[in-house]
Amino acid sequence: MQEFLQQVLSGIASGGIFASLALALVLIYNAMGLINFAQGEMAMFATFIAFLLLDRGVSYWIAFPLTLAVAFAGGILIQRIVIRPLERAPVLTLVIVTIGLATLINGVAGFVFGYVPRSFPSPFSVQTVNVFGAFTSYRDLGVIAVSAVVLVLIYLLLQRTTIGLAMRAAAHNPEASRLLGVRVSWMLALGWGLASAVGAVSGIMVAPIVLLEPNMMQTIIIYAFAAAVLGGIESPLGAVVGGVIVGVAVNLAGAYLVSGDLELAVALAIIVAVLVLKPNGLFGRPSVRRV
Amino acid sequence: MPLLELNGVRAGYGPTQVLHGVSIAVGEGDIVSLLGANGAGKTTTLRAITGGVHWDGAITFSGRSLHHTSTEDIVRGGIAHVPEGRGILTDLTVDENLQLGAHLRRDGAVVRKDYDRVFEYFPILRERRRLSASTLSGGEQQMLALARALLMRPRLMLLDEPSLGLAPMIVKAIFNIIRAINQTDGVAVLLVEQNARLALELSTQAYVLEVGRIAVKGASAELIGNDSVRRSYLGY
Repeated sequence: MQEFLQQVLSGIASGGIFASLALALVLIYNAMGLINFAQGEMAMFATFIAFLLLDRGVSYWIAFPLTLAVAFAGGILIQRIVIRPLERAPVLTLVIVTIGLATLINGVAGFVFGYVPRSFPSPFSVQTVNVFGAFTSYRDLGVIAVSAVVLVLIYLLLQRTTIGLAMRAAAHNPEASRLLGVRVSWMLALGWGLASAVGAVSGIMVAPIVLLEPNMMQTIIIYAFAAAVLGGIESPLGAVVGGVIVGVAVNLAGAYLVSGDLELAVALAIIVAVLVLKPNGLFGRPSVRRV
Repeated sequence: MPLLELNGVRAGYGPTQVLHGVSIAVGEGDIVSLLGANGAGKTTTLRAITGGVHWDGAITFSGRSLHHTSTEDIVRGGIAHVPEGRGILTDLTVDENLQLGAHLRRDGAVVRKDYDRVFEYFPILRERRRLSASTLSGGEQQMLALARALLMRPRLMLLDEPSLGLAPMIVKAIFNIIRAINQTDGVAVLLVEQNARLALELSTQAYVLEVGRIAVKGASAELIGNDSVRRSYLGY
């Protein structure tokens, strides 16, 4: 029982990481009906920026928000330069563009930073602590806390502020929103900026665990896809719940059912099962539209 | 100088031209109706004004040309456009729709007063504030669209068929409120309607569009009394 609880806690910690990246995917999907395949690579690149700052002796809690700010600006820049000229293009074109973007960012990171895995610091120690009889690490608790804070902040921004309202309006109905004076194109850019920053959180949280290198997000993004699909690709809350479920499920499966090498297969099985049994996910709405 | 002036406006969708030189003027505080059969170009005229369709010719609002101006900037300049289909954001609540109407305003105290007034006009919206806008009936959605437009504090409202699909009682109530808004706030109204009789009773000036051209224009009172105009263009 105690070991089970430990596995669950550590699963929630991974879940927080998946949830952040899944939320990034959902933010962009909501804004333009597009899966951003470059989301993981963008997060990886942001993590390298955090690494550079830390390497120069900037303290962790300054480097962290600074990196998010850079990631935010980077997301907006990518939307303005690469995505905006294709605003009226079919979604498939945009999908291809994001795949190209993923390859490009991965290559640039490899070229600039090299492929040698680097250790990345965590502000939380790996010392164990007793929570309700289960032993977990301060690092896992820290990851859970940071993810929770970020997710709550995004929720408040979207649900409780005027700019968040305008972003949701622009995503749901661009034409009607324009007639209310909402600058739709900028709202989309803002969505990209936010997604990029939230994704960066997942990169920074996962880097101490998997080591920092250009390919580090390539499995994480699969888990994030699973989380987003499970939650219902349109629902920010679903992304968070989906992230935690996937994190716990994968962790438990790894501990009790399959060997660690097959954990990714569990995520893929979740994606397939959801698409077959409940294509709209846990929190998604059926995609029936009145014409 | 009129508040809104269209001069020889041509517009269309791709190769199909819909407007072949439309000239209309709406004075400060006026109610002007734009009538005509289906496909005459009424909706396209409104869309041209707020930049929803490519056009050439001249459109000026309050003395400024609207050429090369984005929809967002035109709207921010003081034109509220309630489009065909009402433009309700059905994924949001009633309250969030209203908030979007006022979201650019910085005069918080006045906004709160305007909310009170909006709820006086449409008490049903106060009851439904927290509900999803998708749960509203057609008439309630039309009320929400008008309420939201009012919260934008526009100088001009463009209303596209506010009576469409609504029961006669509700249409009457909505038209009374349009009149009240016009009188208390001095908001000018350009009203597109299929229901010509109702529109003529409300407006002071009227234009009749026929396949993209203005066929008749004049004082609404005269058009109501003119039998030949009524028979040939207005169909009642």
